[in-house]
Amino acid sequence: MKLEGKATMLRIHFGEDDKWHGKPLYQAIVEKCRELDIAGATVFRGIEGYGASTLIRKPHHLLSFSHDAPVMVSVIDSDEKVRKLIPQLDAMVADGLIAISEVEVVKYVHQDGARS
Amino acid sequence: MLKPGSAKKVSIYVGEDHQYHGQSLYSAILDFLFYRGISGASVVRGIAGFGADHHMHTMRIERLTENLPIKIEFVESAAKVEELLPKLHQMAGTGLIDVQDTFVVKPSEESPKSAATGAAVALKREGKAKLMRILIGENDKWHDKPLYKALVEAMRANDVAGVTVYQGILGYGANRRIHKDGALHLSHDRPIMLSVVDEEAKLRAFAAILDEMVQQGLVVFSDVDVIKYTHEVPSAEKGAEKGKEAQK
Repeated sequence: MKLEGKATMLRIHFGEDDKWHGKPLYQAIVEKCRELDIAGATVFRGIEGYGASTLIRKPHHLLSFSHDAPVMVSVIDSDEKVRKLIPQLDAMVADGLIAISEVEVVKYVHQDGARS
Repeated sequence: MLKPGSAKKVSIYVGEDHQYHGQSLYSAILDFLFYRGISGASVVRGIAGFGADHHMHTMRIERLTENLPIKIEFVESAAKVEELLPKLHQMAGTGLIDVQDTFVVKPSEESPKSAATGAAVALKREGKAKLMRILIGENDKWHDKPLYKALVEAMRANDVAGVTVYQGILGYGANRRIHKDGALHLSHDRPIMLSVVDEEAKLRAFAAILDEMVQQGLVVFSDVDVIKYTHEVPSAEKGAEKGKEAQK
């Protein structure tokens, strides 16, 4: 797999508790990315935020056991591949935000079996 | 800042249990007023009352103590009130809002302490810059120390403006291995992202150092507009600060 020069970054924002077919949405998205042979995907958990539903998402709210922290999935690959992912995401993300931006890949290295 | 003279007094009547986007309504309104620069507001809780729905809310009967009346009150200039009313109208829901003409004899004053901190004016700097993101694994090493730590140290040593390290909870990258924050495993290899904003020339120069340090990972650049707030150090203190820096 090779990735260089201009590429596209896609970011999906939603809540940690969002589900897709009974499994965490963020996990389902990462699996979908693998299925589509996307170069990589990373899930980040935020500590506070609000979004489409304007509910304040606070994971460590005092005495509250609800843990709906904001989650962001970040994907970087060629524009063509990322755009292939969008229709699939449309079906999966019910309440959230998807944004794309242009990036320039400066370095992309992977060594097969180096860290197995 | 409120000045002596004619002004408006706004009172908003809501129930204590009323909610606004998962938060209590009166504190949501208070937050709104606070962040929109109102010079002051008070929340008062009533001990009994009823509203349009003719439900009696009182402290005298245990069963009815819930949803006691709350009054949020503030005094502001007519223009400011005009500006805030549409949003308040939307937030108040079933509650009542009334606006009265009033006369400010003496506005409240900032305490001297907070006024002093306000004197250090934040400088705003704007311009174009580059954002560099480096994606690696938490267990990646460089000379036996965590790679992300080594990168932060290398950036400091090379005068890169600033860097933040983020830890992901799940991901995969170049070698198709899932990095996961599994509750039951003791060995974590979570995804790590370093995010750096600086001038393009500086980052390009640093990319050469990265070549040597990052054995596996992804580095991407994107264009950003920088809006930066800094505190100017008064010139008298500047010399002393420089001296301190040199000692370090």
